[in-house]
Amino acid sequence: MSVEEQVKDIVSRIAHIDKDIITREATFKEMKADSLDIVQALVAVEEQFDIEIPDEEAQKFRNFGDFVDFVEKEAAKKG
Amino acid sequence: MKSLEGKLALITGSGRGIGRATALRLASDGCDIIVNYFRRRETAEQTADEIRALGVNATVIKANIGDPAKIEEMFDTIAESFGHLDIFVSNAASGVGRPIMDIDSKAWDWTLDINAKAFLLCAQRAAGLMEGRDGKMVAVSSLGSTFVWPTYAAVGISKAALEALTRYLAIEFIPRGISVNAVSASAVATEALKFYIREGLIKDASQTTPVGRMVTPEDVANVVAWLCGDQSYMVRGQTIIIDGGTSIAPWNAVPKKGEG
Repeated sequence: MSVEEQVKDIVSRIAHIDKDIITREATFKEMKADSLDIVQALVAVEEQFDIEIPDEEAQKFRNFGDFVDFVEKEAAKKG
Repeated sequence: MKSLEGKLALITGSGRGIGRATALRLASDGCDIIVNYFRRRETAEQTADEIRALGVNATVIKANIGDPAKIEEMFDTIAESFGHLDIFVSNAASGVGRPIMDIDSKAWDWTLDINAKAFLLCAQRAAGLMEGRDGKMVAVSSLGSTFVWPTYAAVGISKAALEALTRYLAIEFIPRGISVNAVSASAVATEALKFYIREGLIKDASQTTPVGRMVTPEDVANVVAWLCGDQSYMVRGQTIIIDGGTSIAPWNAVPKKGEG
């Protein structure tokens, strides 16, 4: 499964969001994910990929695509 | 000989803030330290380096203390690596800042799990490692357990539970030779506080603190260190307030020089 699919799975499960709504362009607000959903998704993604996502970086994510791009970049560093 | 020489302390959330200051304070008293962190390995490793520079041992363990399985893993590691523990400081905290009407079940569970349930589960495991060692436990609370701050309900309630748990543990653990107390601070100058100031939820507390400056992490760490030593032997189940007088004089009723 691609990184994007795995992150989508996590966000869908934690925030109870239909996967069809989670597109690269969708913002967390549009997906109706609240601040706790986002924190819990960050934590779950960090655990799954064994990476760190600093809050300052997470605040820069404009949409789900930015989130995925960051995870892909960090996961690649881990090899 | 330093007062805590040869002892081993676990401090949850000790990569930064009050936890870090407490870790360094206990280390300066000769205590070996287990630094627990959750999301920031770099800051935890920095704290560990500073601890080692004080001439004691430091071990870093990652664990999300909001997850009971991770608490079990952390204590399994401690049991295997050390086989004992002398001091446990329950410091790690999180929470959802929302008005009461916006606190849903998930927000409640997240806050109460990390701030209150984790202390119960950690204390149970820590007690097993403290047999015959005059163990000490200290929980870090906040004045929000008693006083009402905007959007602080979930956290304040979790801290009230933490303080009540401190009292029950203090009495139930007497036969085990373990002392249990809590410390409670007003707004402490940490990164977490910057968030509340930035969001406009509280004002710079140096204006309203009778003593005339904010509480620092080191102020809290000094009291935790005292509770971890023998001088506080008869203090049990108490929550010691560290607030420069704020809770007894919230309007800063300090007379000016020449008036008092």
